[in-house]
Amino acid sequence: MLKCVNMSILGRKSKHLQIAFNRTIDEVSHMVGLLPASDKLVIEAGTPLVWRYGSEGIAKLNAWWAQKLGKPGYVVADLKTMDRGMREVEAAARAGASAATCLGLAPVETISEFVKNCAAQKIDSMVDMMNVPFPFEVLQKLKKLPDIVVLHRGVDERLRNHEKQIPLDQITRIRGAYGNVLISVAGGETTREVVSDFFNGADIAVVWQTFYEKPEETASLAMDFLKLIK
Amino acid sequence: MILQKRKKYLQIAINGGLNDARQILPLLPASDNIIVEAGTPLLKELGISAIAEIRAMVSSNTYLVADIKCADLADRAVSMVAGKKTRPIELVPPGATNVTLNDVLQFAKEQFKSRPYIQPLWTQPYQKLRGANAATVLGVAPVETISLFIEECKKSGIDAMVDMMNVETPLAVLKKLKNPPDVVILHRGVDETEFSREKQIPYYQIKQIKGNYDVLVAVAGGDTIREVQRAFFNDADIVVVWKNFFQASSETARLAREFLKEIG
Repeated sequence: MLKCVNMSILGRKSKHLQIAFNRTIDEVSHMVGLLPASDKLVIEAGTPLVWRYGSEGIAKLNAWWAQKLGKPGYVVADLKTMDRGMREVEAAARAGASAATCLGLAPVETISEFVKNCAAQKIDSMVDMMNVPFPFEVLQKLKKLPDIVVLHRGVDERLRNHEKQIPLDQITRIRGAYGNVLISVAGGETTREVVSDFFNGADIAVVWQTFYEKPEETASLAMDFLKLIK
Repeated sequence: MILQKRKKYLQIAINGGLNDARQILPLLPASDNIIVEAGTPLLKELGISAIAEIRAMVSSNTYLVADIKCADLADRAVSMVAGKKTRPIELVPPGATNVTLNDVLQFAKEQFKSRPYIQPLWTQPYQKLRGANAATVLGVAPVETISLFIEECKKSGIDAMVDMMNVETPLAVLKKLKNPPDVVILHRGVDETEFSREKQIPYYQIKQIKGNYDVLVAVAGGDTIREVQRAFFNDADIVVVWKNFFQASSETARLAREFLKEIG
């Protein structure tokens, strides 16, 4: 079985909190300005932001975050690639993203091509396992493993179907089988859920909703979440 | 549904960027049977402004598809591509009496301020038509997302298309939905086409789906005139093409004309 030699700059030494931004570009600019300048934060250009502003939105987010940090930060482009693994990755890399996402539901050819191209563009590849019943089955079919696997419960799923759970039990199993692949967990929004993500071995926890609902409290919310990361 | 049953459509996907769009779109023959699609790569690079740009390049009654490939957050996806439905500016504050001209101006100013996207009509001739006429959602997305997407499309008055790329049995997906979509797309992805040639478009599913649901079926992933013919022969209502169009725009017009000749 393939073992992942992880080249991601995030590394496994520290946990990270990923905040997805989905509001209008002016509001996002303001919100990024409110964030604490912490290496432990990962900034995500959420899918609605990419839909609305395209790669220009990613580039802007990247510039603002770098300005805030005083050095290049880590920005994820949530492309949710489903086809044409190559073109979208190139566009995201050109916009300065450090990582891009591909759907685990996409054809295997697309995921493989996506992972390959991310490596060629020197950005991290994330495979989003939303609605994938057995992430293992997808990973098994790939020629090269992604840098990061995202276990994800979608927003519509969460709001309309209360029975669906994030498969946190998969974290240790994936890590056991594939070694150093980083695991990110998305779909839990409360501090409680984030604690549980990290407790179960996640490297990255993704949140967005509280920030989306209360943009003016961005700073305090981020601090609250950062306290959970040792 | 805006599209008509028992009519055949050729859907032309614009993927290469706005320059390509500028070359291709003027060459297309004017016809109700030609649909224009803002492709996913274009949308991801330029955002939804691509829809408005393409809208401005085609005639105002051209049917425009936004291939947004929604996988989550269906309500936001639909509201973005459908364009804004603007309420007209009101002249008199509700319940006001003895209104002076000054009051009218003041009231209009307030309304413009609270809805900054409204612009005076003379600067925006295409305002009402800014959005797309249809949008796509992934068949592999969670059932909740697909259902919500179809509901939202209905509310916004646009057609919902479910893209069955990488779905083995589209009927199983349709069965789980509360309401069927307007269009089902049978799709072989570009990466699949290039890297594993043995994957075929399952033409037999067209009749299967149409037999069970009152929907139109689109076929995407073929890129020669032969494949277009084969899809229509197998009862597809819409055929989506892109490769030829991506390469040379003169080919586009030829294929579109041939298509119109054939159905005409």
